[in-house]
This record gives sequence, structure tokens and C-alpha cells, in this order.
Amino acid sequence: MAGFQEYEEYDALGLAALVRRKAVTPVELLDAAMARLARHNPRINAVCHVFEGEARARIAAGLPVGPFTGVPYLLKDLYALYAGQPTANGSRFYQGFVADHDSTLVERLKAAGLVIFGKTNTPEFGLSTSTEPALFGPSRNPWSLAHSAGGSSGGAAAAVAARLLPTAHATDGGGSIRIPAACCGLYGLKPTRGRNPAGPDVGEGWAGMAAAHAVTLSVRDSAALLDATAGPAVGDPYWAPPPGRRFLEALDEKRRHLRIAVMTKAPADVPVHPACTAAVEQAARLLGDLGHRIEPAAPTYEADLLRRAARDIICANVRNGLELRGKALGREPRPDDVEPITWAQAEQGRRLSAADYARATQTVHRISRQILAFFERHDMLLTPALAEPPLRLGELSMACDDLAGYLRRLLQFTPFTAMFNATGQPAAVLPFASTAEGLPIGVQLVARFGEEAELLKLSADLEAARPWFGRRPSLQ
Amino acid sequence: MAGFSEYARYDALGLAELVASRQVSPAEVLDAAIARTEAVNPKINAVNLKMYDEARARIAAGLPQGPFTGVPFLLKDLGAFYAGFPTSFGSAFYKDFVPRHDATLVERHRKAGLVVFGKSSTPEFGLAPTTEPALFGPTRNPWNLAISAGGSSGGAAAAVAARVLPMAHATDGGGSIRIPAAFCGLFGLKPTRARNPAGPDIGEGWSGLASAHCISVSVRDSAALLDATHGPAPGDPYMAPPPAGSFLREVTAAPGRLKIAVMRRSLWDRPLHAECLKGVEETAKLLIELGHVVEEAAPTLDVAAQSWAFRVIIAANLAANLELRAKALGRKWRPDEVEKVSWEFALEGRKVSGADYALAILIVHAAGRQMAAFFQRHDLLLSATMTEPPQPLGEIDMTCDSVDDYYERQLLARMSVTPLFNMTGGPAMSVPLHWSADGLPIGIHFGTRAGDEATLFRLAGQLEQARPWAARRPMD
Repeated sequence: MAGFQEYEEYDALGLAALVRRKAVTPVELLDAAMARLARHNPRINAVCHVFEGEARARIAAGLPVGPFTGVPYLLKDLYALYAGQPTANGSRFYQGFVADHDSTLVERLKAAGLVIFGKTNTPEFGLSTSTEPALFGPSRNPWSLAHSAGGSSGGAAAAVAARLLPTAHATDGGGSIRIPAACCGLYGLKPTRGRNPAGPDVGEGWAGMAAAHAVTLSVRDSAALLDATAGPAVGDPYWAPPPGRRFLEALDEKRRHLRIAVMTKAPADVPVHPACTAAVEQAARLLGDLGHRIEPAAPTYEADLLRRAARDIICANVRNGLELRGKALGREPRPDDVEPITWAQAEQGRRLSAADYARATQTVHRISRQILAFFERHDMLLTPALAEPPLRLGELSMACDDLAGYLRRLLQFTPFTAMFNATGQPAAVLPFASTAEGLPIGVQLVARFGEEAELLKLSADLEAARPWFGRRPSLQ
Repeated sequence: MAGFSEYARYDALGLAELVASRQVSPAEVLDAAIARTEAVNPKINAVNLKMYDEARARIAAGLPQGPFTGVPFLLKDLGAFYAGFPTSFGSAFYKDFVPRHDATLVERHRKAGLVVFGKSSTPEFGLAPTTEPALFGPTRNPWNLAISAGGSSGGAAAAVAARVLPMAHATDGGGSIRIPAAFCGLFGLKPTRARNPAGPDIGEGWSGLASAHCISVSVRDSAALLDATHGPAPGDPYMAPPPAGSFLREVTAAPGRLKIAVMRRSLWDRPLHAECLKGVEETAKLLIELGHVVEEAAPTLDVAAQSWAFRVIIAANLAANLELRAKALGRKWRPDEVEKVSWEFALEGRKVSGADYALAILIVHAAGRQMAAFFQRHDLLLSATMTEPPQPLGEIDMTCDSVDDYYERQLLARMSVTPLFNMTGGPAMSVPLHWSADGLPIGIHFGTRAGDEATLFRLAGQLEQARPWAARRPMD
């Protein structure tokens, strides 16, 4: 590849510093990103829509001065609206939908100086933890092309792992930032409920369970990006606890010894793969070496009830989403508009009553209190990111209509993430180990509600102790 | 009344000051409150549960030092759990329900030094703008015993108006603090969504529409109580924008030159009764005299959709709660255990789909955005609290057959703007600034942007000084 050779040696803040020093131009960075896109995307299928012309026009018009000025960026193709560009939400039902305004988050990403040049692949409506939409085909894991990149932000994670760019936008309603980060060997932080804006078209996603942020190579990129985008927007229904300082600055704060609970058993007796358990044990030892108090402990809560309530909320929202799209198209949604599993969830959503939905949110809030009470006694929780190494493509197919079987498979793979969408706590996945065949294995850290700063600090310490930046897939 | 004869002349902070300076003891203050209750409650039927011995025991055991140490207090009989004492929700279906723990808000009341000596009456499940539950019979307005005290915090308002106590707990899901405050010539402020804690049993009421606080004679009592009770509790699903400082200090701070939009019709475009209109006009005149800018302006809203959404949320939550209670009792509710309108609402909550509930939330959050945009141009919205002066008892009928008629004609037609602020989550207040020709109080309503109680308290403090109302007392 010609042009800026060292592109992959830098994280986003590093690239932005080069641009500020005029060591490299935004056009050269975009060229570097496009060259890698051309080279890798045919194999990994991470990017489903490219708007290079728009990106070049924005550079030519002069970029806003921000912490990331000139750094190439990709949006997940799910509800992150970019005026004038299509948003398909991974669904043929949304083909032809072109936003007439930016999402608030996208406005802020642009104001931070990021150069958005395309959209990354997602399973339909973000409903799977593997990214294999019928519309755009499967995203492949850069570490092994036969394997899933995870989901629902699988396109974003595959793109970053393949070093198309150092960080990409992602969203998480049940683990969708953290799961692909784990599958692709990246850092993925899901922020606190209400931390990043969801508007202007909605006040919250999935009754507050969904959060937007990014998958990144470096912890500091995640922190700086959150600084750039976090904070309530006008008309938001509620707030997250204000952090009181910039997340990036928090990384320099003096550390204190933490009480860290370690959980290796999965809820609902889901078996955990020894490689996933081993990674947690390794991380626990390292945290102990760093001076923290490590104790085996896990929150006790009504896991089955919580999972059912969250599922009810998701199903009702899927159905409502189809109805709204149907209204815009002037017709009723039909089964063949969406993938079979999506339709099955919408049908379940239609069968639920409003009272069921109200009770489901009450249940989520009630059980969340049980889980959050655990964090009165512990500063942090360490868990496996996943219960299995990355799945092979095709193992989690949305092309079947056995909803119960599908959800069971989903749970077996990812039993550790969704509970923190219910509680609204910040949680992050860090790359920590790999399988014998070289697939990444992640661990998850969970902090108290509103305490991304503590989570980022501990993440940065692990990053310093066990750097992962230099580990990259060969993709040859 | 024997004993402490000046009891009725003090607000809660005034009583607390007397107690702190040992001019009067908490027991004497409680005796005065009990004597007053015994004297007037047979006429107004505001207190439906007496907890005299409990209150005496608390005093004997020693009260916490707080801003209200030794001040008698009543809890609304709706959700505000006090361990060991029944909470009926105004319903026969909950008649024997005794919570085993305190609500978080009640814990904070007690920590502030308040002495809970009873519960105040509410219409069944707080579903009416009048307080006439079949279970306890009608609460009467101290200004005219044939007239409604408003609702759903009618018991609280009647008790305060009759000077049983200077300030009582109240809740507001559609106007239930502001309406009875308006009917009884008192100050009633509904705080921002999540300002006061809703837990521990729920994370929010009516999907965030409901707020708890108080009805009081003085503005400063309301501010000081909010200082004592506000702030997130562990496990809350989200929080309110944090205030800049003490609300109490705002009461005496100059409000500056506020841009106040005035509405002379209801949200549903109904004209105001001549007395209500007169109250609005006189208030507008006063505001101009005080240096504010008053301009004719009404927000553009999809009122039909919002009315639908509000109804779906109430119906669904009612059904969910009844189902929960039925589960606890191990049997269904019987027709004679819930009032007709509650029954019909609950059936509706089971009939409407979960997808519609998701849509209702979307509509509520959109209202929040629209009003936030409105409040970027205006500081406040001025209107009458109700379209009509307080109506005679019996006019609003929860035993009527048609829930459509009840909702449209009996509920919404009387409301001016109150539910709008439950949807936006913004704070709103009813200020007793007008009395009709026949001596009935007319409340004047102000609402503002989410998080900005400070502006309301500053203006209320100014209005209270300009047009003091504390000396206007019924039943003297």
C-alpha cells in the first residue's frame, strides 16, 4: 500500500496528533483507510456502505477542530442517522431509507473532527450476536474468516481488527459492543444509560437498555471519544450521573486499591468454555498483582425472570419498529419484509399486552436493584466476556423461525452481557487471551452505575500490563 | 385548642425552628396536629389512617436532627410505604396490604426529622382529579365542604388547607400534586422526573410520568423539603439533572427578567372558565409589574397522540399492578374490589399491545423534545392549573360506565396543561394566586424545562412576596 505507511501504528488520538502537527493530512488518512478497505473488505465484509465522496467533500470544506480532527470513522448501520445517507438497519425493510438529519451522536462525532466515510454491517435491527444479515451477507472475523466477528457491531469490530481504522462506532442493547470486541480482540466499552445521546428521534433505545459508543484499539481512544460525545442533549428524558471530570484526564488519576469480585459461573447454568474461564483467572491474578483485592463473588438475582422481561421489551420494540416503518411505507409489515427470527420476535411483541410491557420494565428495574446492590460491596466485577470462543459463521442463524431455540443458542454464547444493559451500568470487554487456534478471548469488567472513569482507569492499567495493540490478524 | 395554640400560624420550617430553639417540643407540636386532626377531619375526611402511637413512639425514641425535626407529616396513601402500616392505594383490593419496609423517600422524610402521624386519602390508584374513593368516602374541600379538594393528592391538600399540618407528602402522575394544591389554595410543585427517589420497589412510576414531593403553604417549605429528599438512590435506573445548589436559597434569589409564555386555552384547545381566565390575566399583569416579559405563545404538540399515549401508560401500569397484587393474593380481583373506571382501565391495559406501549413511550419522549425546544425560547409556560374552578363533589364519577367518557370529558376536559409536564419530565407548579367571586381558590400553573426547579422556586418566592396567601385560611 502506498501513501501513509505507518497508519496502522497509531490509535485515533495518535493519528489526530499527527494531523495537528501537520505530519499527515486528513486526505492522506482517508486514502490510507480507503486503501485498506479496498484490500480487506471483500474478504471480511465489514463495511456495507461507503460514502467516500461525502467524506472528501467534508475534508475539502474544512473540518471542525476537535480531539479527532481528520481521523477516519465508520458508523454502524443501525439508527445512527447521517443526513443524506442510507440507514438500512441491516434490513431489506429499510432499503431506500435515507435520513434527512443527523443523529445527535453523529453531530457530535462530526464536531469532534472525525471523518465519517461509511457504515458498518449489522445483523437485522441488531438482533443477533453474530453479524450475518440476509441483506449484506456475513461479516467475517479477521482472525479467522470462517468465524463470526460477533454482533451486533460485528462490522465495526471486523473493520477495526483488520485495521481499516483504529476505532469505529458501535451500539450495545444486550452486549453488541462487547461481544464483537471480544470476538475480534478489541476494547469495547458500553457506557452508562443516558451517557451518550440517543436522540433526536427517540429518547432511549429498548427502554433504556441500549447504549451507543465504540469499539477501539486503545483504552484512551474510548475515553477521549466518550469525552467528545457524552452528555445530555436538549429534551433527553433523563440523565446519567455526570462524571465530574474528563474521562481522558481520569486516566492520569492516582489509583486506589479496588475490591474486585470475580465471577466465572454463568447465569442459568450455561457452561463456560475452559478458555474463557482461564482468561478470567489470568486477569484476576494480574489484577491481584496490581494490588487489588480479588474475591470470588457474583450478584444473586432472578436471572431467568430478568432475561424474559428484557426479551419482552425487545420484542415489543421490534414490532413497534416494523409498524412505524410500515406506516412510513403506507402498508402493513409482512413476514417476508424481514428475516424469520425478526418476524418471530415481532409476533411475540404483538402478542404481548401493554400491561406485560409495563410489568417487564418494572421487572427490569426491580431486578437491576438486586444486581446494583452487589456493587455497594464491590467496586468492580470481572467476568468472562463470552461463554465460548468466537462461533463459526452459520451457528447463529436468523434464517430459522425456532425463536426458543435461537434464544437458547444466543444465551449459551453470551450469558454475561445483557444483565448490564438492564442495570444500565458501564461494562467493558478487554482482549486478554486467545484460543489454541489463535482466536481472541476477552474478559469483561463491570463498574458501578455512572463510573466509566473507574472502568477506564482499570482497563488502562490492564492494557499497560498486557498490551494488545501490537497483536493483529495476519489477513494474508 | 389547648396547648400550642399558634401551631397553625407556622410553616414547617417555622415549627422546626421553634423545636430547635426549644420553645416547643416535638410532642407538643404533634399534640397540636392530632388535636387539629380530631377537630377537622370529621368534616373534611382528609386523613384515612391515624398513626398517632407510632408518631409518639418515634418522638420518644429520639428524632434524627434534620431541617424538619419535630414537624408532623402525613404520607399520601399511595405507594409511600411505611413499614408495618397499611398502604391502600385508595382501593379495597389493597385494603390489607402492609409493606414490610419503608419507601426510600419515606426514609429520607424521617431522616429530615419529620414525624409521620398518618396517611392522607387518595382516589383509587390516584386515577382521579378528585378524592372520592369508595373505600374511604370523599375528602371535602376546607374552603367549601360541598366542593372537591381535587386529586389525586386531595387528602394531603385538604389537610394542609385546614392547617392540620403545614406541609404534606403528595404525588403527581398527571397533575395530582398541582390540582389539589390549586383547589385548596396551596403551593404544589411537581419536581423533575427522577428528582425524588421512587424506590426501592420500583425504578419509576408510570414509566417516568409520576413524581413525588409535597403540597405546602409556603414556598420555602417545598424547597427545603426537596433539598432534604432529592437525589438518586442506589439502584435507580437514571437520574435528574443535578441542581446547581440548594433549592431553599433559590426562594429568596431574584428571578431576573423571565420570558414567560402565556396560554389562555387548554392543551386540548378548550377555553378557560371566566374565573380561571381572570386568574391568568391578573397573574400576567402582576408578572409584567414584576419586570418579566409575558408573551402569547403555545407549544406546537401532537396532543391527540399524547393523550392516547398517556392513557395507554396509565392503563398498562394499572393492569400490571393489579396483576401483581392478584398474584400476591393468589386470586383475581373481584368487581366489588376495584372501582368501575379502574376496572375498565385495567382491561384496556391488557387489550392494548406491548408494541403500542413502546410507541407510547416514544410519543412521551418526543413531547419532551418538543417542549425542550419551546423552553429554549421561553423560560416558563403560564396557564391556569385547571380549566374550571373546583367542582362540586360527585361530578367526577369513577363508577361511570364509559371509560372513554371518563377520560375525555371528566379528566382531560378539566385539565389545562398538567399532564404535559409529566410527559416532558419537567418541573411544574400550581401557585394560589386567585380566588373566585364565591371564594374558591384558583391555581395558576407554571411549567419549565426539565431540571430547572430553581427558576420555579425563584419565581414562586417572588410571587409569594408580592401576593402572600398564607394568611388566607378556610375554616377559621
